[in-house]
Amino acid sequence: MSWEDVLGAARLREGERAFLVRLLQLLCESRGLKAAALYSGSEECFERQVMWGSEAFPASIDGDDSGGYESLELPEGRLLFAPGEEDWKRPKGPIVLALASGLRAAVLRLQLKEQSFVVNYRGVELEALYEVGLAIASMLNLEQLGEEILLRAVSLLDARRGALYLRSGGRLVLDHTLGGDAMPELPLDDPQVAQVLGPGLGGEQHLLPGARHLMAVPVGAEPNSRGILVIADKESRHGVGPFPESDRRTLALFANQAATALETAYLHRQALEKERLEREIELAADIQRRLLPTAIPVAEGFELAGWSRPARHVGGDFYDLMRLKQGRVGAVLADVSGKGLPAALMVSTIHSSLRLLVDREGVGPGLVQHLNRHIAASTAPNKFITLLVVELDPSSNEVRYVNAGHNPGVVIGSDGNVRELASGGLPLGLFGESSYESGSLVLEPGDLLCLYSDGLTECESPSDEEFGLPRLVDLLRASSDRSLSEVIRDVDAAVTDFAQGLSQGDDQTLVLLRRTA
Amino acid sequence: MTEMLKVTVDRRHPMAVIYTEGYINNQGGEEIARVAYDLIDDDHKVLLLNLQGTKIVNSIGISILIEIIEKMLEIDGRLAFCNLTPTIEKTFHIMGLAQYAKIYPDEGVAIGELSG
Repeated sequence: MSWEDVLGAARLREGERAFLVRLLQLLCESRGLKAAALYSGSEECFERQVMWGSEAFPASIDGDDSGGYESLELPEGRLLFAPGEEDWKRPKGPIVLALASGLRAAVLRLQLKEQSFVVNYRGVELEALYEVGLAIASMLNLEQLGEEILLRAVSLLDARRGALYLRSGGRLVLDHTLGGDAMPELPLDDPQVAQVLGPGLGGEQHLLPGARHLMAVPVGAEPNSRGILVIADKESRHGVGPFPESDRRTLALFANQAATALETAYLHRQALEKERLEREIELAADIQRRLLPTAIPVAEGFELAGWSRPARHVGGDFYDLMRLKQGRVGAVLADVSGKGLPAALMVSTIHSSLRLLVDREGVGPGLVQHLNRHIAASTAPNKFITLLVVELDPSSNEVRYVNAGHNPGVVIGSDGNVRELASGGLPLGLFGESSYESGSLVLEPGDLLCLYSDGLTECESPSDEEFGLPRLVDLLRASSDRSLSEVIRDVDAAVTDFAQGLSQGDDQTLVLLRRTA
Repeated sequence: MTEMLKVTVDRRHPMAVIYTEGYINNQGGEEIARVAYDLIDDDHKVLLLNLQGTKIVNSIGISILIEIIEKMLEIDGRLAFCNLTPTIEKTFHIMGLAQYAKIYPDEGVAIGELSG
């Protein structure tokens, strides 16, 4: 190795390290040394930069320790060397000067590189914070969002571990964890949690079992925070340590951004859920509309009509008009407990069951007992159905009925008298073995039979007054010269006027049967 | 959720593909470096890091990756990355890794180009 070779390395741009290695080689060959290593550092610790020869010089050495090798102090570090077998000389002269200059350049380059790294990573931090408010805010999948928030928080602050807890009722449930176990859930009144969520942020909590240095911040401002974000054990090349206070501010800023993103995702989920429910309700309402009779059975000497106005898209009222055997006609009005989809399903059940059984058994106690057993077995214990079913025999003008806990229907005679259809038993579905009895009456010319749901008579005005059965009966009494479709329009108009726009909580249903001759 | 980094290697002399799964932090980075330096000692001059199983990398992990890149440059070798998440790819660009190590969308494209 010669000076020309060393300068040649510099000209060939082999790099700073190759240049220094060649210098070390030149030093060893010219001073009779076996090997040499160049360390950078201060008084406390030196780190090996380059070496030449077959000796296994340590990667780092303490200030007072030279690892058993000969040493020479340099302005920016230390030179270690192993003497040759014989006739060796201590390093000195221009080569040492060149090594010191090269080491100085290497140290400056390292410092520049470290500063450049810090500046660049600050860019990564800013990018992460910016993206939380942008990319994450547009992430609407809560599962992915929770993971993304935790990953970014952990990487942003060089944490070794982390966990994200989100509020669920009165507790915090573990959403995601990284790098180790975490408590599956935390009560909000836990003193450690209360300290994180409260004004006195800080303290070395132990929310992550086994963590040595922990930092936790609320996700969003109290009292409406979404949860807490916990990170632990700040990493460096030498192990883990505590987080500086500036990291807490960064994490808090990040957590606030995350809270906004979570809020957006929650609202999106709620909107989707609402949309899904509305689609289901619309579907159920469509099915229920199809259950309503599309044709009115014709019975000579009689007129029939039905009408229903659900309080929601899917109501709990149901009526049906049926042609039965031997020219008979059936009518039913039922009111299912509850509203919405569960009520619609029960309506569907009672509709199909009734249609299957009524033609075979006719209207009587047996039919209603069968229906009751079926409903009791197929619905929840707290669900029930009130039902009034009637069967008209046009040949005898006789009406047979069973009332299962429903408002008594009424028959308004041409003379104005009112008879009630009260015979029956308990609502369907309460007790599987309930027994029922039937009632009967004969319709005279002009008699009007009316089945109604309580949503009609209990319709409320803004002054908390109920429409009531007497008003309905008065309306019907005054309608003898009007067709049943006109009567229904009159009732509809009267109830609407009475409510004066007040939203009603229950369905309104009416079935009318009049003997015309 | 991923815990400690797992590293596996597919040797295709003179190239090798290093697969990572988990967090590239101090521990994970050192494990990658250990595997990479073993491969360099075994005369592999082209290393491809497939990060398909990695969703997270911190600054310590990045500094170790930079050291591996520098080591590869010293031996006139090449290091490349593939299957990066968008976040990690953006981080590599900001930190300057992309200047010295090419980033490929997937392993097939990377091997096709690095083998050529």
